[in-house]
Amino acid sequence: MLSIIVFSLIRSERSLRDQSQWGMLILLAIFGVSGRILMEPIPNVQPVTVLVILTGAYFGAPRAIALAAIVALASNVIFMGHGPWTIFQAIGWGAIGICGALLSDKLVVNEKLRLNRLALMAAASGIAFNWFVSLSILLDTGFSMLVPYLLNGLVFDLYHAFGNILFVAWMATPLGEIMSRHRSSQSLESVRDGVAN
Amino acid sequence: MSDWLKPASVVALVALILLAPSIQDRLAEESTRYIEDNESSHHGLPAEWDEQQVLCIYFPSDSPHSEFNLGVTMIGSDGEEIGTNEDLNRTGACVGGFEGYSNGLDFMMNSTRMANGHLSVGYEVGQWGAFVHTIGGLNPETLTGDFNGAYWHLDHNGASSMVGIGDLVMSEGDVIEWSIGTW
Repeated sequence: MLSIIVFSLIRSERSLRDQSQWGMLILLAIFGVSGRILMEPIPNVQPVTVLVILTGAYFGAPRAIALAAIVALASNVIFMGHGPWTIFQAIGWGAIGICGALLSDKLVVNEKLRLNRLALMAAASGIAFNWFVSLSILLDTGFSMLVPYLLNGLVFDLYHAFGNILFVAWMATPLGEIMSRHRSSQSLESVRDGVAN
Repeated sequence: MSDWLKPASVVALVALILLAPSIQDRLAEESTRYIEDNESSHHGLPAEWDEQQVLCIYFPSDSPHSEFNLGVTMIGSDGEEIGTNEDLNRTGACVGGFEGYSNGLDFMMNSTRMANGHLSVGYEVGQWGAFVHTIGGLNPETLTGDFNGAYWHLDHNGASSMVGIGDLVMSEGDVIEWSIGTW
C-alpha cells in the first residue's frame, strides 16, 4: 500500500512544474499523513521525521514547519487521535525541520545527501522528539512521574530511532533527488531575480 | 555507506520488534523504583495488611455497588469479611493480605475472586495489552454526567499507574486501586 502511494506520488511529482515547490510540499504532506497512518501497527515507525528533516535541508525552515504542522494535525484528526499532544508533535517536528535547515550544508554536500550524517541525525531527532512530546503528560501529572514515564517509553524511542534509520536507508536518496530538482529551480529563480535587479 | 545501511536497518528493526516485549518488561520493572511509594497508600486499611498486597475497588457515589455501598468493605485473602471502614469518604471493597504476586493482572484476577463474584472483572486484550472495561458489574461507558467519557482508572501505591494492569510489576506491600476516572 505504501509503495503504491510512493509510486503514485513519484508519478505526480513528474507532472509538477519545476517551480512548484508548494505542490511538492502538498505531495510530501500526503505521503507523511498516509505513511503515518499506514505504519500505525508498528508504533513510532513512520516517515514523517525523515521527511521533515529533508524538507528543512532542501526547502528551508518555513516550509518544514508548515509540513510538520499539517502532517501532525491532519493525521491526528483523521486517524491517530487528537489532543494536547498534537501541538507538542507539531512543535517537535517543526524544531526538527529547523535543525534540518540549519544543518543543510552538512547533510547535502555537492547536491548529494550524506546518508551517514542523515541517519545519525534522524535517529537522534527521533529520540529527542519523543522526549519532547512526553512533556505533554506534565499537563496532567506531576514532574515526579516524568522519569518513570520516559523509562517506560524507551522501547518506543528506539522504535522511532530505528524506524528513522530504515527510512533514511531506503527512502532518503530518491526523495533527495526529487527535492533537489525543485530546489535547483528555486536557486535558478533567485539568480534570475538577481539578474533582473 | 548505503550498501550496508539498507540491510542493517531492516535487521535492526526486526531485532527490536522481536526483543521489544522483554525489554519493555525489564523497563517496567525498573521504572517502578522511581515511583515514590506513597506511605499513606495503606491508610485506612487493616493493620494486619501492612507489608502485604491489597487491591481496592471504589465505586462512584451515583452508581454505588449493590453489595458494597456503605463504606469500604475489607475482605481477607481467604474470602472472609474483616469489617467495613466507613470513614474513608468513599464506597467499595478492598481485598488484601496477599504476598508474592509480581504480575498485576494475575493479582487482580485472583484477589477479586475472593469477593464471591461481587467484584468480577471483565477485560479484553488489545494492541496495548489488557484493558479492563468492567469491574463488579460496572462498565464506565454506561455512566453519564458532566464529562466526555469515563474509564476505570488504575492507581499503584497512591499514584497513577504508568502502565496497564497487564504490564504492572508488583512488589510486596503494593496497593492497587481502581476508581472511575473521567475526561
